[in-house]
Amino acid sequence: MAGTLRRVRTLAGAAPLFILWALPLLLALGMLAPALADGEAWGLLLAHPQLVPGLALSLFTGGAAALLALLLSLLLLAGLHGSRVWPLLQGASAAGLALPHLAFAIGFGFLVMPSGLLARLIVGGDAPPAWLSVQDPWGLSLTLALAMKEVPFLLTAAFGILARGDAATRLEGELRAAASLGHGRGSAWLRVLLPQLLHQLRWPLLIVFVYGATVVDMALVLGPAQPPTFAVVIWHALNDASPEANRMGLAGTLLLTLVLALALGLVGLLAAALKLPLRRLLSAGPSLLAAPRASARIAGVMLLAVMAASLLLLLVLSLAPRWPYPAVVPPALDLAAWRTMAAAPQPLWLSLGLGLAAAGAAVAMAVLWFETQPRTRDGVVLGLAVLSLALPQLAVAGGQYRLFLDLGFAGTLAGLFLAHLAPVASYVLIVLVGPWRAFDMRYVQAARALSASPRRVLLAVKLPLLKAPLLTAAAIGFAVSVVQFVPAQLVAAGRFATLPMEAVTLSSGGNRPLIAAFALALALPPLLAFLAAARLGRPRWR
Amino acid sequence: MALILTDAAITLSGKPLIRPFSLRVEPSETVTLMGPSGAGKSALLAFIAGDLASPFAASGTVTLDGASLDGLPPERRRIGRLFQDDLLFPHLTVMENLLFGMPRGKPEERLARAEAALAEAGLAGFGPRPPHTLSGGQRARVSLLRALLAEPRAMLLDEPFGKLDAPLRQAMRDVVFRNIAARGIPCLMVTHDAADVPEKGRVLLLKDGEVRDA
Repeated sequence: MAGTLRRVRTLAGAAPLFILWALPLLLALGMLAPALADGEAWGLLLAHPQLVPGLALSLFTGGAAALLALLLSLLLLAGLHGSRVWPLLQGASAAGLALPHLAFAIGFGFLVMPSGLLARLIVGGDAPPAWLSVQDPWGLSLTLALAMKEVPFLLTAAFGILARGDAATRLEGELRAAASLGHGRGSAWLRVLLPQLLHQLRWPLLIVFVYGATVVDMALVLGPAQPPTFAVVIWHALNDASPEANRMGLAGTLLLTLVLALALGLVGLLAAALKLPLRRLLSAGPSLLAAPRASARIAGVMLLAVMAASLLLLLVLSLAPRWPYPAVVPPALDLAAWRTMAAAPQPLWLSLGLGLAAAGAAVAMAVLWFETQPRTRDGVVLGLAVLSLALPQLAVAGGQYRLFLDLGFAGTLAGLFLAHLAPVASYVLIVLVGPWRAFDMRYVQAARALSASPRRVLLAVKLPLLKAPLLTAAAIGFAVSVVQFVPAQLVAAGRFATLPMEAVTLSSGGNRPLIAAFALALALPPLLAFLAAARLGRPRWR
Repeated sequence: MALILTDAAITLSGKPLIRPFSLRVEPSETVTLMGPSGAGKSALLAFIAGDLASPFAASGTVTLDGASLDGLPPERRRIGRLFQDDLLFPHLTVMENLLFGMPRGKPEERLARAEAALAEAGLAGFGPRPPHTLSGGQRARVSLLRALLAEPRAMLLDEPFGKLDAPLRQAMRDVVFRNIAARGIPCLMVTHDAADVPEKGRVLLLKDGEVRDA
C-alpha cells in the first residue's frame, strides 16, 4: 500500500513538468525529423541565393562575438580579480545580464547610427556622416553589440565558478602559491586560474556562440539586410504564407544546427591540436607578467558607459518628439510616445502576465520535481533543458510551431503560454537544481524529529531557507519570458502581440520615440524583477 | 643570507595585533613562532611574503640578503612558502607543478633536475601523474619539492604539517627541516602545535601582541 502511494506521488510530482514542458519539447524536436527527408525543401534551400553568404555571416557574427566576449571577460576577470572594484564588477554584471538583448540592440543602434548620439558628439556638421555603423554588410555592429551584451553572462558564469564551494579559498591560495614561486599576478592568472576557468566556461561559451549565430531579433535591428544572416533568412521563410517556404525554413533550421555542430567540432579539433604547445607554456617557468589592471579598468568603464548610454538614450529618445541632427540634446520633451503606448497597453500586460504565469508555473513544477523525484533522475530533465537551450532557438521554435499548428494550438493563448514556458522552465531547472540538491538535509531531519509533517517541513523550513535561489530563478524565468520573440511570434500567428514583437515591428519604422518607449518597457520589467529578487531574497537572519 | 625584521608590527582594522619587534633568522636556521589561533602568525608571514591584505596593515622593514624587500611584490621576493594545504595546481601534472616555479633554462636540464628531485624524494616515475592521484604524504612532498626547486632565498612555513596524520607528520618534518638546512637558507615557521617544533632552533612565543622567547 505504502509502495503504491509512493509510486503515485512520484508520478504525480513528475506529471506537470512532463506534460507541460518535456513532452511538447520532445514532440517539437520530433517534428523536425520529417524535414530531414523533405527533398523538395532541401532543394529550395540549397538553391537559395542567400544560403552561403547568410551562413558565412551567421558563423562570423556568432564566432567573433563569442571570441570577443570571452577576451573582454577574461581581461576584466584577470585585471580586476582581487581588486577593490571586484564587487562593483559583480553588481554591474548582474544589471547587464538583466538588460534584454533586444532593448540593448535598439539603444546601441541609436547610439552608433549615422544620426546617433555618437556622431552628434564627435562629428557634428549639418548632415549625418556616411557611416556604415548599423546594418553594415559585414555584421560588425551586430557582432560588437552581441559581444558586449554577452560579457555580463560570461562574467556571471565565471563568478559562479570562482565562488563555488571552497573554490574561492583554494584558488586564492593557488595564486599565493604561484606568487611565492616567482609568478606575477598576470602570469599566475594565465597559468593557474585561466586553464581551470576555461574548462568550466566551455558550456556558457557554447551557448553564447549558438545564440549569436542564430539570433533573430538583434539581427533584424542591427544586422545586414542584403544578405541578412542565415537565421534571418530562415525566419522570413518560417513566417512566409507559403507552406513550401515554411518547409524550407524547417530544413534551414536543421542545416544551421548541423553547420554549427560542424563548426564546434572543428573548434574542438583545433583546441586538441593546441593543447600540447599550450601545456608547455604553462610550465615554462616563472614570469613577472603583472595583472592588466589599467586596461581592464578602461575596458570595464567603456563597456559600462556604452550599456548605460544605450539605456539612457532610450529614455531621452522616448521623451523627445523631435531631435533634429546635429543637436546633442532634444529641443523639447513630452510624454506623447508613452501616452501612445499607454493607450494600447495590451502588449505590455500580455508580456507581464505571460512572464508571471510562466515563471510561477516553472518554479512550481521544478519544486514539485525536486521534492518528489530522486536526484538520480535530475540528469534526464537537465539534459533536455541544456539541449533545448544549446540547440538553435529557431530549430526548437520551428518544430514547436509545426506541432502547435497540427494540434490547433497556434494562435491560442494556451499555445502562447506553452511557447513561453518551454525556455523559462529550462532556465529555472538549471538555476534551481544546484541550490535545491545542495540543501543541508540535516535541517529536514531536525524538523521531522520535531514532529513536523513533510508539508510543514517544505513550507516552514525548506522554502524559507531556499528563498534567495527561488526568487532568483523566478526573476530569471520572468526575464526570459518577457524577451521571448522567435517562438512567441511564430505561435502567436498574428493574433497576439507581446512587447518584443511590437518592439521589433516598430524598429523598422521611423517613430523613434515610440521605438525607444517600447524598448525601455521591455528592459524595465526584467531589471525590476532582478532588483526585487535581490531585495526580497536577503536572509532575515543576517 | 639572513632574514631580518626590524620594528615589524601588524594591525587589524587599525587596532594593534602584533606590537613592534625585531628578529634575525640566520642562514640554515629555523625559527619557530608559536601562538594561539588569531594571534596574527599567518598575517606576519603574509607581511614578509609581501601579500598582506586589508583589513591587516603592517609597518617595519624586511631585509633579506642585506637588501630591503619593502614595496617588492611577492613574486620578486623569491621567498618560498609552504601552506597548510599543499596547493598543488590541479590542472597540471606533478612534473608540470615542479617546473612551474623553476627558473627558466634549457628544457632538458630543467626536466632532469625535477626528475632527480622526484627520485631523491622517493617519487620516481610520479611526474606524469595528476596531483589528485597521489596520497596526502606524496602531495605534501611534491609541494615541498616545488617550493625548493624555485630556488628560494628564504622559506616561510605556515602550519605546514597541520593536516597530516601523526606518522606522516614526523616524516615530513624530517624531510622539510633537512632540506632547508642543506640549502643554507633562513626559515620562519608558524604553528600552534608544539609537536611541529624542530629539535634545533629558536622558539618564539606570540601572545597578547608581544613576541618573546619561549
